[in-house]
Amino acid sequence: MIVTIQKPLDEILDSISPYSNILIAGCDGCTQPPRGLREAKTLSQLLELGGRLRDKNFIFKVITVVKQCDSFLAASMLKPQVDGVEAVLSLACGAGVQTVAELFPDLPVLPVQNTHFIGVEDREGGILEERCSACGDCLLDLTGGICPVTRCAKGLLNGACGGARNGKCEMDPAKDCAWELIFQRLERQGKLDLLREFRPPRNYQLRAWRLTP
Amino acid sequence: MREGVILSEQITEQRVALKLNEEYCSSCSICSSLCPFEAIKRDAETGKTLLEIEKCQVCGICYSACPARAIDIIYYDCGSLLKYLERVKQEYDSDTLVIMCKGSAPDFVGIERLFGVSKFIPLSVPCVGRISEELLLQAIAMGIKEIYLLACDENYCRFGRGSPLTGRRILALNRLLEQLGYGREAITLKRNSLKVKADRDLCISCGNCAFYCPYGAAKLESPGGAEFDLDACRGCGLCVAICPAIALDLDNWERERISALISKLLSEMEQPKILVFRCQWAVFPPLDGELSPNIHAIDLPCAARVDAFHILEAFQKGIDGVLIAACPEEDCKQEGVSARAQHLVTRLRERLSQIGFQDRLHFCSVAPRYPEGFDKELRQFRQRIEAICSQKERK
Repeated sequence: MIVTIQKPLDEILDSISPYSNILIAGCDGCTQPPRGLREAKTLSQLLELGGRLRDKNFIFKVITVVKQCDSFLAASMLKPQVDGVEAVLSLACGAGVQTVAELFPDLPVLPVQNTHFIGVEDREGGILEERCSACGDCLLDLTGGICPVTRCAKGLLNGACGGARNGKCEMDPAKDCAWELIFQRLERQGKLDLLREFRPPRNYQLRAWRLTP
Repeated sequence: MREGVILSEQITEQRVALKLNEEYCSSCSICSSLCPFEAIKRDAETGKTLLEIEKCQVCGICYSACPARAIDIIYYDCGSLLKYLERVKQEYDSDTLVIMCKGSAPDFVGIERLFGVSKFIPLSVPCVGRISEELLLQAIAMGIKEIYLLACDENYCRFGRGSPLTGRRILALNRLLEQLGYGREAITLKRNSLKVKADRDLCISCGNCAFYCPYGAAKLESPGGAEFDLDACRGCGLCVAICPAIALDLDNWERERISALISKLLSEMEQPKILVFRCQWAVFPPLDGELSPNIHAIDLPCAARVDAFHILEAFQKGIDGVLIAACPEEDCKQEGVSARAQHLVTRLRERLSQIGFQDRLHFCSVAPRYPEGFDKELRQFRQRIEAICSQKERK
């Protein structure tokens, strides 16, 4: 899932201050914590209260989209809603915001979230953690299902670096050393041989992907 | 010096909701055998009956069962319930009495449907287990012709034994009344429980309900959306308050009904307007009347049903302050739900602080065993809201 963190309300209020009629679009897709209809509604209520303190009356329309990053779905759900709207506030990740912005070239489409990473949610602990860097060259089959590109602070492909203390990373003692985890996992599976193989550097030229499915 | 110590002890001693009167106690142990919370025990050495007030949840079961009337309770005791009945009998112009457990009571229309009565005197109590035979007989003596009792489903009773006890009590009392010539079923007992309602068309399969439900009533086992086991649901409303798709609602406490209630209360309130969302197990409200002309309350089945949506709606409509009264974690009648409620309110408060509204929202944990706890919280909150409002006026 794409993990996002909502911008401070002040910043959002600043961004919408030139407009009055605003469409708030939630996204039921993968953004975590969920930014669906409830979040869109709550945000409209908070912004209305915040607006009043700035002597500004906003008129909000609130909807949610199944997946804003899908231009077909975003178009079919948003197009009927934009009449008379001066700006769209999107609760989606950066990809969703850009999809909607492309759909409505004449409308300002403003982000509500800062998009952080592809991660997992530990519901018990209430923690969201990064797990995937979308590098385009997956080696999880060789590393016991633990990604060193994302979880090793140095992004080493041939670890460990030797700096870990008690299984914790020397860069951030709150985090596990990814390479120690990989070692333990492979040992458990009897696949330590995989570590003997040298991995060449990744191709860092791969950026701004464009693919045909 | 010694006097000083005693004096300070007297000052700090809190008023409590329940007291055992040793002089009347015959040490029969009925109370200690019925107490669902093991708050009353018989001392093996002295034979005396002892109350541990910290464990007491003020359900009133012991009070209603004590043959020696050795237990004093400050909420809904027999005397004040009878006085209330006498007073409102004319107001409702009815000789039909409907006694409801707050935890399971639907609205007036629901009562009509359940019992087939349209005109009645409503009496809501925190548990029907506190209604003694004496009260029912006195009500009949007062001229009440029909009595209906609405209890929670037996396995759903928040006080464990209140609902089953009432069943046995009514059975015995009806036999007695039959012998006296009052017919076979002089008192009608029915059971009801409030449950979650799900609109699966709106479900986005996020799994929040399944993860947070303390009773395992919500399940997400296929991509088709969450499913609910209504037998397991205990109607706390936590899933309703957190569902990101607004796909859930709670019997009798539907979103729209609470919104309408907020609007109605608002129109009756004086400035500065304070709205209290009370967990019905945390604060036992007075039998009638509001707290004061500017403070009105909504009693919810659990603090978890307090929805960010309704708090913000109240502010939008012109409420100056919102107070939420919940049970302390260890007293929560639902499993750990009040702690979740506190977390949700804290999160909302953080967001309100970004627009300078945080002081208008307050969460407190109170227990009915210390009646002054809520009064104190309310007094302090009221002062705070008055200060905010007068500051605003000066500007």
